[in-house]
Amino acid sequence: MRRDLELKIWIFTACIVLTGLVVLYSASYQNARVSVKVFYDQLYCAGIGFALMYFLSRMDYRRFYEIAYVAYGIMLLLLFLVLIKGRYALGAQRWFSIAGLTFQPSEISKLCLILALGRYFSHRRPTFKFGTKSTSRALWNHLIAPLLLTLVPILLIFKQPDLGTAILIFGIFFIMTYASGIEMKFLSGFIGLCIVAAPFMWHILRPYQRDRLLVFLNPNIDPLGAGYTIIQSKIAVGSGQLFGKGWLAGTQNQLNFLPEQHTDFIFSVVGEEWGFLGAMFLLFSYGGLIFTGLAIAQQVNDKFGTQVAVGIVGIVALQVIINMGMVMGLFPVVGITLPMISYGRTSFMVFMIMMGFLLGLSKRRTVF
Amino acid sequence: MFLVGCHLFYLQIIRGSAYYSLSINNSIRVLPVEAPRGRILDRNGVVLADNRHSFDITVLPQEIEDKDELFDFLAKTLRMDKKKLLQQFWQRKIAPFSPVVVAEDVTKEQAMLLEENKYRFPGVYIEESYSRTYPFHEVGAHILGYVGKINREELEQLKDYGHSPLSEIGKNGIEDFYDSYLRGQEGGQQMEINSRGRQVRLLAIRQAQAGQDITLSVDQRIQQMAYDSLAGRRGAVIIMSLETGEVLAMVSSPAYDPNVFVDSQLKNKTTALFADSQSPLLNRAIKGQFPPGSVFKLAVAAAGLATNRLDPATTYNCDGVYQLGAAKFRCLHVHGPQNLFQGIAHSCNIYFYHVGQNAGPEAIYRYARLLGMGRSTGIDIPFEEKGNLPNPLKRKWYTGDTLNMSIGQGDVLATPLQLLRMMATLGLNGREIQPYFLKAINNQELVKLSTSRQVGMIPQVYDILNNALRMVVDESSGTAHILDIPDMKVSGKTGTAQSGHGKDSHAWFVGYTVDTHPRVAICVFLEYGGSSANSVVVTQQILTQMRAADIL
Repeated sequence: MRRDLELKIWIFTACIVLTGLVVLYSASYQNARVSVKVFYDQLYCAGIGFALMYFLSRMDYRRFYEIAYVAYGIMLLLLFLVLIKGRYALGAQRWFSIAGLTFQPSEISKLCLILALGRYFSHRRPTFKFGTKSTSRALWNHLIAPLLLTLVPILLIFKQPDLGTAILIFGIFFIMTYASGIEMKFLSGFIGLCIVAAPFMWHILRPYQRDRLLVFLNPNIDPLGAGYTIIQSKIAVGSGQLFGKGWLAGTQNQLNFLPEQHTDFIFSVVGEEWGFLGAMFLLFSYGGLIFTGLAIAQQVNDKFGTQVAVGIVGIVALQVIINMGMVMGLFPVVGITLPMISYGRTSFMVFMIMMGFLLGLSKRRTVF
Repeated sequence: MFLVGCHLFYLQIIRGSAYYSLSINNSIRVLPVEAPRGRILDRNGVVLADNRHSFDITVLPQEIEDKDELFDFLAKTLRMDKKKLLQQFWQRKIAPFSPVVVAEDVTKEQAMLLEENKYRFPGVYIEESYSRTYPFHEVGAHILGYVGKINREELEQLKDYGHSPLSEIGKNGIEDFYDSYLRGQEGGQQMEINSRGRQVRLLAIRQAQAGQDITLSVDQRIQQMAYDSLAGRRGAVIIMSLETGEVLAMVSSPAYDPNVFVDSQLKNKTTALFADSQSPLLNRAIKGQFPPGSVFKLAVAAAGLATNRLDPATTYNCDGVYQLGAAKFRCLHVHGPQNLFQGIAHSCNIYFYHVGQNAGPEAIYRYARLLGMGRSTGIDIPFEEKGNLPNPLKRKWYTGDTLNMSIGQGDVLATPLQLLRMMATLGLNGREIQPYFLKAINNQELVKLSTSRQVGMIPQVYDILNNALRMVVDESSGTAHILDIPDMKVSGKTGTAQSGHGKDSHAWFVGYTVDTHPRVAICVFLEYGGSSANSVVVTQQILTQMRAADIL
């Protein structure tokens, strides 16, 4: 059983990473806008990433339990620093440059938050009802405290601005709170509150974010501006048909009609060049990974492990669904990467580390 | 996850082919390659409309490296003002990826100079195209017409014939009428382009095919003589080969220079042409409608003769005035007793009041129509008018109307070409021919294009009228005696038509030669030209010049 799950994680991860490299090569090998360096960069990252995975799979994950809050603190510091000293690019302040290497603290925050929330929830026990006082304490312990833990990085990230990651982190919070065995009345009450508050969110969005939302509702209102991206990526995916146009032969990709075809919109290259079959292969690989992850979460015997596994599986699932949905016009355009495929060192490495965690969790079932 | 899979299926399998064609449209453009237009030649092969290779300078904004330096260089080589070039550039710039024409029609030397230095300035392109030139400028302008960019309406009509929004199309005259022959087949390059519109590779090419040359029946020498003889006065001259209907010359004056419509440097002059009170753009020979005056008397006489209500020998006395009730209808002179021959030779109004009265307005209408009044000639250039012949049965008709009609006044209007055709029909004893210009396409002589038909009056009518027409010139008292040129027999009829509005009369002479080779019919019309004698003088000049040039 143990060996089996571990092998599956390795296989699915390899499938996804290798597919990503093949597609990334096609998106960059003769492109004026995207240098082929991007491909080699990702190739090195993949090498380092697999090594890291192997290393993490052999490590005792209790270490992470110990450093969880420290990591959270460092994350807050980094998020704070990037707002002050970060590199400004593409209209946002998201990057840090250390010794010539740039990285994106908001990506790291996903992992740190999973660890921190995991450790927090691992101490929670089912509540026993002893009057209103304990109910309010339960509410505080089970919902409000972890919410505050989440909201601090969300605000910092939102400020960059990076709406996509902020939403994702909120998603992590939801999934992990749900998995912590919280009373359903708390959670459903909170969801209701969120729905009521949603319309007020409109006012804190930036103009371009509002544009994207409007364009999502009707891409044709601005076909050469904000709607261009979504129209072109839908054309790319759709034109792939069953078998795709073939590797290196996608016109939308090669002739640069696709925007950001090496990062957020890389799935449109998959759809165009590999068709329905290729896209489904990728979708099934992710599905396999997610189900294996859930199986691991189920058989881990301590709460921290379960929470972390669920958090990892959750973030992968969320990103895959939102990213693919965005490329196909099912969701508004938000900057969310396709895990282990989109180019971006930090994002890529963070997901490889998460896979390493899953491997580690699958090995050690009984601790404490 | 399941939803994502479903949507994938929808996009790629169900709607896949639609998106596929969208992606192809995205990436393939067809760039037109201009085809040279066919030339227009006169009957002796003289080129009347030609193509000049022209070079346009375009700039692709997104490829410019140093705009300042580039425009310095352009200004220097093109010897143009840098400010003006830059202004042009900003005015015409649409998007970074669409080329901007900064200078049109530069000289070949300048284009070469640019070509040599192009490597230093990315983003500069030289585009070759053909532009139309008309070497004889004003002479023949109304026959040839001009070319211009196709407009939306024309495009709507003609896009099935391979016209693109950038095509040039004939706008008037021969250029318009025979556009389908003159126009070449636009070639095309099928290019794969990227999202910025830049060309990536050539997929396919179709060579442009030059248009066909058109040879006209016009003789440029006669054309020049006719144009010169008018000397800028308002009017028209048409000379036609009598037996075939080939138009040898057609001039309308004042004329315009068709190059103005084609040459970008002269384009500002077009507005002046449209505003000119002398209407130089109007082809008076086919589109101008004027009272025919005494020339119309031939139709009246034909009506009388054909209905047997006129005996050529009967005389009516002309004392200068014709009394109808209280109204007086006048003649220009007091001619005394006149028979038909004298009446025509002297162009006596009183005589024709009697003839018109006897024949009656219905007969005049019928026979004038037979002789081509109120009917267009069907000549092969566009916008011909058909004059006006009032129908006495279709409106309230008074005897005064009959008298006015009898001398070609009142509501009777005719184009110079119509009167010329009427005269030719008489000269050919009742064979009506259709005037035309087209002689050959791509040097392939056409088999008899002109159609002809018998008008169908009794033959005596023509004999009598032709004799009378001869007397107009031959008799020393005839109104066109000036045309008594040695060794040339000319027949014809003058006309001094009241123009109304208190201005000078229109001067007409319409006639034909009897013994020349080839026989020609000629119509000289001077708008507000005064006495018909002025037109007769012009006719005499032209005919003697033609004789001197050995054309007749």
